[in-house]
Amino acid sequence: MTPVPVLLDCDPGHDDAIALVMAHRSPAIDLLGVTIVCGNATLDRTTVNALRILEFIGATEVRVAAGCVSPLARELVLGTADGPSGLEGSPYLPEPKTKLDPRHAVEFLADHLRGATAPVTILATGPLTNIGFLLLKYPGLKPKIARIVLMGGAMYRRTEYITPTEFNIFCDPEAARVVLDSGLDVTMVGLDVTMHVIVEEPQFAELRKIDTPLGKVVLDWLKFYEKLHRGQMGVGGALHDPLALAVVIDPTLITTRDAHVAVDLTGSFTFGATVADYWNERGLGTNVHVASTVDSDRFFDMLYALLRD
Amino acid sequence: MERIILDVDGAGDDILAILFALGAPGIALEGVTALTGAAGSVEQVTRVVLNTLTLARRDDVPVAAGAWRPIVGNDAKDMEAPVHFEKRLRTRFGDRLAGFNPPAPEPVRPPMARHAVDFIIDTIRSAPGEISVVATGPQTNVAMALRQAPDIAGLVKQFVVLGGCFRTPGNVTPVSEYNIWADPEAARIVLRSGAPVILVPLDICEDNRVAPSMLTRDDLADLAAGPRGPVIDHVIETFPIYIDIWREFFELVGFPLDDAIAVASVIRPDLFTMTQPYFVDVALSERLVRGQTVVHRGRQILDFGGPVTTRICEDLDGRGFMALFKGALQAVDKGRTQ
Repeated sequence: MTPVPVLLDCDPGHDDAIALVMAHRSPAIDLLGVTIVCGNATLDRTTVNALRILEFIGATEVRVAAGCVSPLARELVLGTADGPSGLEGSPYLPEPKTKLDPRHAVEFLADHLRGATAPVTILATGPLTNIGFLLLKYPGLKPKIARIVLMGGAMYRRTEYITPTEFNIFCDPEAARVVLDSGLDVTMVGLDVTMHVIVEEPQFAELRKIDTPLGKVVLDWLKFYEKLHRGQMGVGGALHDPLALAVVIDPTLITTRDAHVAVDLTGSFTFGATVADYWNERGLGTNVHVASTVDSDRFFDMLYALLRD
Repeated sequence: MERIILDVDGAGDDILAILFALGAPGIALEGVTALTGAAGSVEQVTRVVLNTLTLARRDDVPVAAGAWRPIVGNDAKDMEAPVHFEKRLRTRFGDRLAGFNPPAPEPVRPPMARHAVDFIIDTIRSAPGEISVVATGPQTNVAMALRQAPDIAGLVKQFVVLGGCFRTPGNVTPVSEYNIWADPEAARIVLRSGAPVILVPLDICEDNRVAPSMLTRDDLADLAAGPRGPVIDHVIETFPIYIDIWREFFELVGFPLDDAIAVASVIRPDLFTMTQPYFVDVALSERLVRGQTVVHRGRQILDFGGPVTTRICEDLDGRGFMALFKGALQAVDKGRTQ
């Protein structure tokens, strides 16, 4: 099987870090490059984190370009799930020596798309600022994009997690709207499914068996990551971004429903909410495949296999 | 010499702004950037810009195409309102509208391959403290440049923003003017960038208080009686219908030259009454007030904290401006033959 060409836009971030590792290790993925956005931490930190991770796994051939330092139209509100550096828990990772690509992430993405011989999948695991900017600036490149898989959103309804908003969309709702309204094939991997791929004791037990430097660092990330999740939501760490990456490798891990999803930009408590119109009451058709169920066991099998090999 | 980039979205008065910038004394026109706005798509606007420069025999001026849509924009139905407005004009003015905002023919040269946003960034960076960006449409291109390269806020000489209203009623909502309304998030980015801004609101362009600054048939007669050339001929031929529409439909004394006025604020600030710098913000929320320009004057209980960087034009020496304008058009024709 030919590997899927992928451009990964991320804001590492513990779960981004794991997604990045998986993307590099999966034979099903041809990782064309990595672009960085602010979100889980400021851009300088998320950028350094990406370089540290890639250097640690010996993936210095992967080009990295830094992008937007703030959301499209708002002040940056940092995420809280990953600690101040965005990647707490692994202080022993080396300071990176690899050089950043000199281009802005948007130019880096545009150049890759222009040069692509087959349409490219864009995987976005952070706020959608870079991708929204790309679509605002170069709408002519849309035919070069096979699909966009994004980690973000939560269906606006009462769930056990009682939150109307998900961070990546909340952080840059204007950019999210640009992406959702782009007419491209968009798959939204939101909290509805990612909160079902949670690392609890059985998963920790499996991960401990991977007795390699990579296994150790992933475990350390997840231990830190779990602490914040446990304190805030009473559950272990949810592997949001790795699931989005896994969906690129194997779309059958999730089931989706098509709907028109709008992003609320103005609500006092709900700005950033992703509001799905499953009944087409607004008469706008559909603009996104919304992930609604996930096969958690198969996801974790894929994760263990990719970390082990 | 004031080095300016002119960022335009339209047809009618944007053409005149380009010609004005080419002919007015003391301006070096570094380039013209285009974006989608009131008068059509970025492709149409780019063609109009290229054709205008060709008419003036100034194909040396770089032209770059930019934004095709606003960052957020407004409801589709509201965005189409200007189109319906043109239909109303057609009903009222019939055949006389033939020369109004016609489809632009294919230009003799293409725009540059670079995106307008990159042209703006690179030009500002190449000449720190020297470049003024005069944006006479929605602020999308300028805002995207600031988002992609935040450092340009400290390198630009100033941003001139054509838009907003304070005393004169708005033209989209009672308090909102079209350019700001069409991309309020973009305008807000520019006004909050920390760079010096000159704000040229409707108050000194489309209000009969500044009637002497508006183009009338008398002005066209003056131009016809003076030295002639293809540029003056084009203006004399094209603009009577604009004057009629703005007289009969908008009840203004003549055709307002907003875009050229914005350019004039850079080279002839003495023609303007400008306020001290204020923090000016844009309302983003409700349909009724979306795009309203809000100036933080006086003392308030709540603190909204923002950069005190925007000078608002409050009055204009209309006669002085019109004399400058007509002289500039004549200078373009004169330069053509040299």
